[in-house]
Amino acid sequence: MPTRDQPAAQALFEHSAEAAFVLNPLGVYQQVTARFAQLLGQPAAQLVGSSFVASLDPAQARLHQHQLARAAAGAVVRYQAPVWGPAGPVEVEFQLLPPLAPGSACYGLAHPLAERLHLSTTLLERERQLSVVFDNLADVTFVLAVEPDGRFRFVFVNEAFYRTTGLLVSHVTGRYAEEIIPEPALSLVLGHYRQAVASGQRVMWQETSVYPNGQVTGEVSITPVHNELGECFQLVGVVHDLTKEKQVEEALRRSNERFRYALKATSDAIYDWNVADDTLYWGEGWAERFGYELTPQPAPLGQWAAAVHPDDQARVVEGRRQAITADAPLWEAEYRLRRADGAWASVLDRGYLLRTAEGRAVRMLGAIQDVTERERAAAQQRLLTQRLSRQNADLQQFGYIVSHNLRSPLANALGYADLLPSLPAGTPVFAEALQHLAATLRQFDQVVTDVNGILALRDEQAGYHPELVDVAAVCQLALLDLQEPLRACGGEFESHLPATLRLPGSRAYFHSIFHNLFSNAIKYRSEARALRLQVASHTSPTGEVTLTVRDNGRGFDQQRVGTDMFQLYRRFHHGPAGRGIGLFLVKTHVEAMGGRISVRSEVEVGTEFTLSFPMNYDADAL
Amino acid sequence: MKTYLIDDDHLAIFLARHLLQSEGFSNTICAFQSAEEALAELLTHEREGLPRVIFLDLNMPVMNGWQFLEALTPHADELRGHCHIYILTSSLALADLEKSKHYQLVDGLIHKPLDRSELRAIRARLEPGAGAS
Repeated sequence: MPTRDQPAAQALFEHSAEAAFVLNPLGVYQQVTARFAQLLGQPAAQLVGSSFVASLDPAQARLHQHQLARAAAGAVVRYQAPVWGPAGPVEVEFQLLPPLAPGSACYGLAHPLAERLHLSTTLLERERQLSVVFDNLADVTFVLAVEPDGRFRFVFVNEAFYRTTGLLVSHVTGRYAEEIIPEPALSLVLGHYRQAVASGQRVMWQETSVYPNGQVTGEVSITPVHNELGECFQLVGVVHDLTKEKQVEEALRRSNERFRYALKATSDAIYDWNVADDTLYWGEGWAERFGYELTPQPAPLGQWAAAVHPDDQARVVEGRRQAITADAPLWEAEYRLRRADGAWASVLDRGYLLRTAEGRAVRMLGAIQDVTERERAAAQQRLLTQRLSRQNADLQQFGYIVSHNLRSPLANALGYADLLPSLPAGTPVFAEALQHLAATLRQFDQVVTDVNGILALRDEQAGYHPELVDVAAVCQLALLDLQEPLRACGGEFESHLPATLRLPGSRAYFHSIFHNLFSNAIKYRSEARALRLQVASHTSPTGEVTLTVRDNGRGFDQQRVGTDMFQLYRRFHHGPAGRGIGLFLVKTHVEAMGGRISVRSEVEVGTEFTLSFPMNYDADAL
Repeated sequence: MKTYLIDDDHLAIFLARHLLQSEGFSNTICAFQSAEEALAELLTHEREGLPRVIFLDLNMPVMNGWQFLEALTPHADELRGHCHIYILTSSLALADLEKSKHYQLVDGLIHKPLDRSELRAIRARLEPGAGAS
């Protein structure tokens, strides 16, 4: 067999009772049956490899040549010619079947006409032989009868037809094309059939049809068969199944397309590091995400290495190189990478190493992901959580303190209301109790007023917008209000604040801070010595500004007061002077401006408050 | 009964003192506006000089009621059975009540204002069958 070796069929062919032969496209015998060799009176082995035309009567050479060309062009050819057999000339009818596909073999049959009459049984045998041949073809093969009314009826289909379409041979044979072929393919093929009939030429096209076995893509060729009158009475169709090729091609196309879109969808910078050349081939992300030129491509690894943050260089650049010799297939690192515009990006870099069979790393395919935004968001989230939990703790504390301090004068008032009726009216003790009731109610009123003020302060903070505050000037202003009590106690004040000092914040907050700290210093001055009150500032190299307010007053035992000294209603001196609200306000104001406050104190030595403000604090950062 | 009143609020002390007097609860009342002073005084006494009852406020500057109790802990053995401490606070917080249970020296927690029925109940507990002292 010419295109597909099927030894069983071949053997069957050679030993068939039919005089048949197979010619290659050059008209050279590829195979002959024993019967055909016998007809020509030549050994089969000698015929194979020799020319069909040359093996026959030279007087008929032109006829054979002509008919062979017709068959090669796609026609089923039937003609008669005399052949010189071992017993003299015999009239033989030749039948040449056109090649099933361009460039494939041509089948031929020879019938000695003398024998023809008593060969009705061999005729059937021939049919059977042809079926064997056709059924062993992998290509779908069918024959359509061209009916007088112009319809096409299947008269023969091979096994491949069933294998490909899933339609049983018995189901198809005898049916009209329109009963078998579904639309829209039907209209298409009918057009081609008619074209083949009209033109007398082979028609070829590609089509995709849906059959019970699934979608089939094939290359179809339709060859018209003419009778002696030159009328087309049959169409021989061959479908070369391209489904597998098409599927592979389609899968490859889709995979390529997916890869291309994936590259577009990812904002990562994809790279391909050629270890031997020490070069990187960059994907578009390198330009889009990090702003680098994609030329030259590939770029030396050094270009990337130079963009790695100096503090990460050793770890990351060396880490990548060492990954070559390590066993792991993956390398991964987080580091800072300089964008082309100089800004730093936080990146996550993952690479996959391609190794030879011997394990030598030849390439690393990887992606650099920009996680700057994510990290920033995470940091903000942390900050927000911190602030929320601090505020929540503050609120809890505030609730506890307020309930306690509201209840305290209320409990006293209840007590006096209970006591008064039992005291004789008009006596001094009754008058005193009555005074105390009034005092306790005033206390109650004061707490409510304080709470109101503190809540208002929180509301105020919500609309806080920092401005640059001239701290030294505000400090002087706050002192002015306290000039009188300061002079009265013989205290002195020193400011070492530079006149140029400007801090972002609120003028009112700074005023409240200084006022509260100064009045505390005056209130809790030592009886043993004259008050000295000092204010100074210090700017650290990182831009943090520290204000210190120091006095030489009574001080307090820091260990005993602990960390909660800035709490509301927290007092650490005996006597009625303090309500325990001043330092709470100071702390609230300092924190509202993004600062921190701390204190150091020693009994009978003095107290020093330290207020720190980051220079570039931005209240709108959150 | 010798009684200590420890409270930084003089209005509260005035109130408690008059109630104790009118109820005839105590023969001696010592009032302290600072827990430190009260502690110092307490530790100078031998067993006979100790007060039978101490009314202790919680919320005070410098040394609060809890700190006072902590300071007494090393002396718990000498005090136990002789000196009965009642926390007298305006706080209604449950946390304070829970915390007070951890101090063995504390006999109870009373919410201000102190009232007569409370005083009678304490006396009944400390002096079963006794009248006014």
